[in-house]
Amino acid sequence: MVRLSASSRAIGHAVTATLCCLILIPMALVALTAFKSQPEVYSALPWPQQPTLENFRRLFAVSFDVYLWNSFATTILRVAGQVLIAVLAAYAFARFEFRFRNALFALVLGALMIPHSLTMIPIYIMVVELGWFDSWAALIIPNLAFPFGVFLLRQHMMQFPKPLIDAARADGASHWKILWRIIVPNMGPAIAGLVIVAFIECWNEYFWPLLVTDSDKMRTIQIGIRRFLDSEGVDSFGPLMAGVTLASLPALLVFFVLQKRVMDTFVSSGIR
Amino acid sequence: MTALAQGDLAGLGSLAPRRQRFEAAPYLYLAPLILLLGIFTFWPLLHTAYLSVTSWNLNPGVPVRYVGIANYEDVIDSDLFSAALWNTVVTILVSIPLKVLLPIPFAVFIWSMGSRGEIYRTVLFLPTMISFVAVSVAWLWILSPLGGYLDLVLSSVGIKLPPLLTRAETALGTIIGISTWKIFGFHVLLFLAGLTRIPHRLIDAMRIDGASDGVILRRLIWPMLGPTTLFVLISTVIFTMQQVFTPIDMLTKGGPSNATTNLFYVTYQYTFMNFSVGQGAAATVLLFVFLMIVALVKFRLFDRFVHYR
Repeated sequence: MVRLSASSRAIGHAVTATLCCLILIPMALVALTAFKSQPEVYSALPWPQQPTLENFRRLFAVSFDVYLWNSFATTILRVAGQVLIAVLAAYAFARFEFRFRNALFALVLGALMIPHSLTMIPIYIMVVELGWFDSWAALIIPNLAFPFGVFLLRQHMMQFPKPLIDAARADGASHWKILWRIIVPNMGPAIAGLVIVAFIECWNEYFWPLLVTDSDKMRTIQIGIRRFLDSEGVDSFGPLMAGVTLASLPALLVFFVLQKRVMDTFVSSGIR
Repeated sequence: MTALAQGDLAGLGSLAPRRQRFEAAPYLYLAPLILLLGIFTFWPLLHTAYLSVTSWNLNPGVPVRYVGIANYEDVIDSDLFSAALWNTVVTILVSIPLKVLLPIPFAVFIWSMGSRGEIYRTVLFLPTMISFVAVSVAWLWILSPLGGYLDLVLSSVGIKLPPLLTRAETALGTIIGISTWKIFGFHVLLFLAGLTRIPHRLIDAMRIDGASDGVILRRLIWPMLGPTTLFVLISTVIFTMQQVFTPIDMLTKGGPSNATTNLFYVTYQYTFMNFSVGQGAAATVLLFVFLMIVALVKFRLFDRFVHYR
């Protein structure tokens, strides 16, 4: 570890603390404004003098309950599918010798580097032709492949102690049994980290649901906020801040419960 | 598609005399993933290339017409696309000092604190958790010249907040600022992760040899951060186009007068605002070329840094 001199430490604290304030103050302002009454939104006083739930009530009057349900349900289904498919593929890459293994793995790594922006037009056309437009299927199915998950789980499965697997094989256990009874139960932390990253990515997504949903019945919370901004205009800052608070809450809760794991997996998903 | 082709080839392979018995199991485990990647990642890449030489308006009743390279000519000649290219390049050039280099001193400082830096790490990570929609709406409110929070505070001391997002001169800078707010802390954490991989005994050895902190920073820490720096650089380039879609679409729609559009947003504008699928696809292919150039630069640079990995 490098030990800095007292003066550079002081400067470091001052600058870093300022940066933290720049992050925390806007977040606090938003959360506090969510509980302000309509006239108070236009006061420079940061906190509400008579806290009220009026802003949240206005949101739920325009089907934010449906948006929340769509977000939760499609996120859970999609993440479950993503992780299941990634577990199966990772097992094949980690535990089998077969032709084209390296070529197929290169394909997965290649997919990791292809951003959504390059594939959106044909997928959109496909979704429309399949009749999936404005449905949960459109939100879930095109996004079920999760190359980063395959990559991470393969890494963990290759480090899995071989004697355990050999012993199970000797007892006549099938691959299917080994995967679900021995490997997966022992990969709790890795899978949990993956679930969290996938959950947050999906929950926060804007571009794809914007493209393939259209009706109030199918909108997710992020798109709901955008529609509210469009329809009510910028003079509804109170309810908008309530919407922002509501949309941010699940991810922040997950973060505060599982801080270290969330940060580690996010950082490793960044360094792919 | 791909999975089918690979499956057939695998079947042929098993006919050849081989020591190993053909096993279907790995292909079955892989089938869902490969099918999905084939249908929703690789096939669309090819389909985009095809669409880029056709003319179509997204209407199923209208036939697709082959037009050759006309779309490319239209796109490259248009003011919209040159604005997008220019804005992308400007954003990347501004982002390198702001989002790639500036996080490094913060990371080194927090790293030097050891486990006591935990609180800083936690706070810096928070914007990563919040959706870009939430971040955009929050800043829209704070920066609004009509009853926005900053306006309320400033007007009490007699300053008028200019309309940052609706002026061509300030809009792009404001979008860059908002995206910096969202990503800065995450980049600090990436550099922190890079720093923790530096072996302590190297630092101790240098110190025993009488090296000062300054020398250790210059000669050991900075070069060891090479790969992380490069990685952050590349992901910043992609982030600059891909993620920034959200604030652009929410706050400026690419305007005013194309001041904030970028190479990704422009493909959306062509396809879903002008309903010109061919031009959108042509712009996508050009974006692909741009990203390939970035990737090539990355590999070239990696060769120079590779001995630090």
